[in-house]
Amino acid sequence: MKALISLEDVHKRYDTGRTEVHALRGIDLRIDAGEWVVIMGPSGSGKTTLLEILGCLSQPTSGAYHFSGVSVESAGSNELAALRGECIGFVFQAFNLLPRLTLIENVELPLLYRRVSRNERRERAREALERVGLDHRAHHLPSAASGGERQRAAIARALVNRPSVLLADEPTGNLDTARGQEILAILQSIHESGATVVTVTHDPLIGGQSPRTVSILDGAIESDERSGP
Amino acid sequence: MSLWESFRHAIRLLASQPLRSVLTLFGLVWGTAAVIFLMSWGAGLNQMLDISFNRIGKNLLMVFPGRVSEDYSPAFDRRFLFYERDDVDDLRSRAHEIDLVAGETQKWMASAFGSRALSVDTRGVEPEGIRIRGVGIESGRSLRRADLDHRRRVAILGNTARELLLGSRGSVGSWIRLDGTPFRVVGVLERVGTQLSRDGDEIDRQIWVPLTTHMGLWPNPFVAEEFLPKLLIRVRDRHRFAEAKAEVRSILSERLRVSPSDEEATPMFGVNEILDELPIGEQNTVSVLIAAMTLVIGGVGVLSMMLDSVRERRAEIGIRLAVGARRRDILGQFFIETVAIVGLGGLLGVLIGVGGTLLLGSDVLRDAIPSAQRDLVPLPILEPHMIATAVGIMCFVALAAAIVPAWRASRVDPAETLRWE
Repeated sequence: MKALISLEDVHKRYDTGRTEVHALRGIDLRIDAGEWVVIMGPSGSGKTTLLEILGCLSQPTSGAYHFSGVSVESAGSNELAALRGECIGFVFQAFNLLPRLTLIENVELPLLYRRVSRNERRERAREALERVGLDHRAHHLPSAASGGERQRAAIARALVNRPSVLLADEPTGNLDTARGQEILAILQSIHESGATVVTVTHDPLIGGQSPRTVSILDGAIESDERSGP
Repeated sequence: MSLWESFRHAIRLLASQPLRSVLTLFGLVWGTAAVIFLMSWGAGLNQMLDISFNRIGKNLLMVFPGRVSEDYSPAFDRRFLFYERDDVDDLRSRAHEIDLVAGETQKWMASAFGSRALSVDTRGVEPEGIRIRGVGIESGRSLRRADLDHRRRVAILGNTARELLLGSRGSVGSWIRLDGTPFRVVGVLERVGTQLSRDGDEIDRQIWVPLTTHMGLWPNPFVAEEFLPKLLIRVRDRHRFAEAKAEVRSILSERLRVSPSDEEATPMFGVNEILDELPIGEQNTVSVLIAAMTLVIGGVGVLSMMLDSVRERRAEIGIRLAVGARRRDILGQFFIETVAIVGLGGLLGVLIGVGGTLLLGSDVLRDAIPSAQRDLVPLPILEPHMIATAVGIMCFVALAAAIVPAWRASRVDPAETLRWE
């Protein structure tokens, strides 16, 4: 199977002025299309930095990163934007919905930057909301929705572009266990429909459910375990 | 991101903090309105001055008798010069830059009607002179050439002079005395209004009699000949005063046998020359500049509001970048938002400026001013180019206020803003 994501000796350093933070120290990782990978690690281990690089939000300081054949480390900002818009869906711990837009407008947002017509935007956003069971709340503002609903709307937004990979950063971190389970079930169903899902978490509950768990510590991969068949 | 979406964002941004929006827009609204209002007020002031200066006679050039200057004659023998009626006839037939010429005499004297008496500026005039003054007849008739030919003792009264002298009892047909001599009132002049330039009393307070009658009854005691102490000339083209003066001077110099370059021999005075020297244009430019500065300061308000907005919305920018927005999408969004806000303020300002100008220039307001003062109150005049100027300045302010926030917004690092710490 062809690798969707492949990282070779990826380093990331932040220069904060006085001190230099070496967040990633030589990551080698390969993720195939259709996998569900959970990246685990304590806070400060570099897992969020890794996810940012995977999601083309920032570029590695050194090393090579290929996303479905495109070498990300040398891509320009418009190419990165196109990759994010067309191939990657993000789900964040803090949901990151725009507070002044209704849920369906938030879901439409990625389509806005891809010159999709107004009617098609509405239709595809509605489909995505249905998929996460939120179509009845489409015209509410995020402030009128519960945490679980907000996260489901965020997942709908990530799905609306039919991305090849869904990246989730602590998707259950701000939710109680029951809501967290709902979100996990949705991620599970997305995975089962054939999408690649990468989740960053320190929640062992999620780790226990996924077939592949990558643990990182101090910016390096500590273990890469596959369970089940 | 479409234009409409950005515009909606701008409206939402304004609606999210109404007080801040009102304060920010106030400068823009006021600045735009002030540019329009001050420009139209300046135009109104110009027109008022032009009308008030020209009430003495439109494009009037006055020529007085002078003396041969010291450059051309020994100081102890400087000749006094004077004009005769032949000089008027010669100017009429030879000069091209002017279209009317008339002699005029003037004497302050006592006038009386019944038991009323009034000291009055009495003029000896010709029909051409009446046309140069440009005053119509309110009742009765004007003076005719026949009145001059027969040295008739007839008079026409300025509007105020009629009120003061005749009161309610007298009218056209009444007899008055001028310096003791009876004259019949044959006409009353229309009201001229307040003059910003005059040669003696205001026209409204003058009494006009035929030139020949005036010269016969009240000759200059020092000269044997009948002489004209003043020539009234109407210049054809307001912008060719210098040419007209040169032409008149060359004809008169020839007749008086003085040098054409001797300006003291033929002193002249054009009312519009004074008007054109007043720094009215500069005054207007300065006031419009001050108004434009208000607009610019309004733009600074918008600039700071948008910079705030970029700072507050870093997360939003990060999210937009994460879902596929290019930097130029973000740049465009904030640019259009700023332009929309400035545009909204400017539109309100144009409406208020135009509305206020039309209101102040309307008859309603004009009629509220007492008639005695009305002549010198400038009423704003609105012209399309004033709105265009205000909009032009506004566009400049919009661009200037939009560039920096938009550029900053487009530089936001998405990874940094999306971290959950």
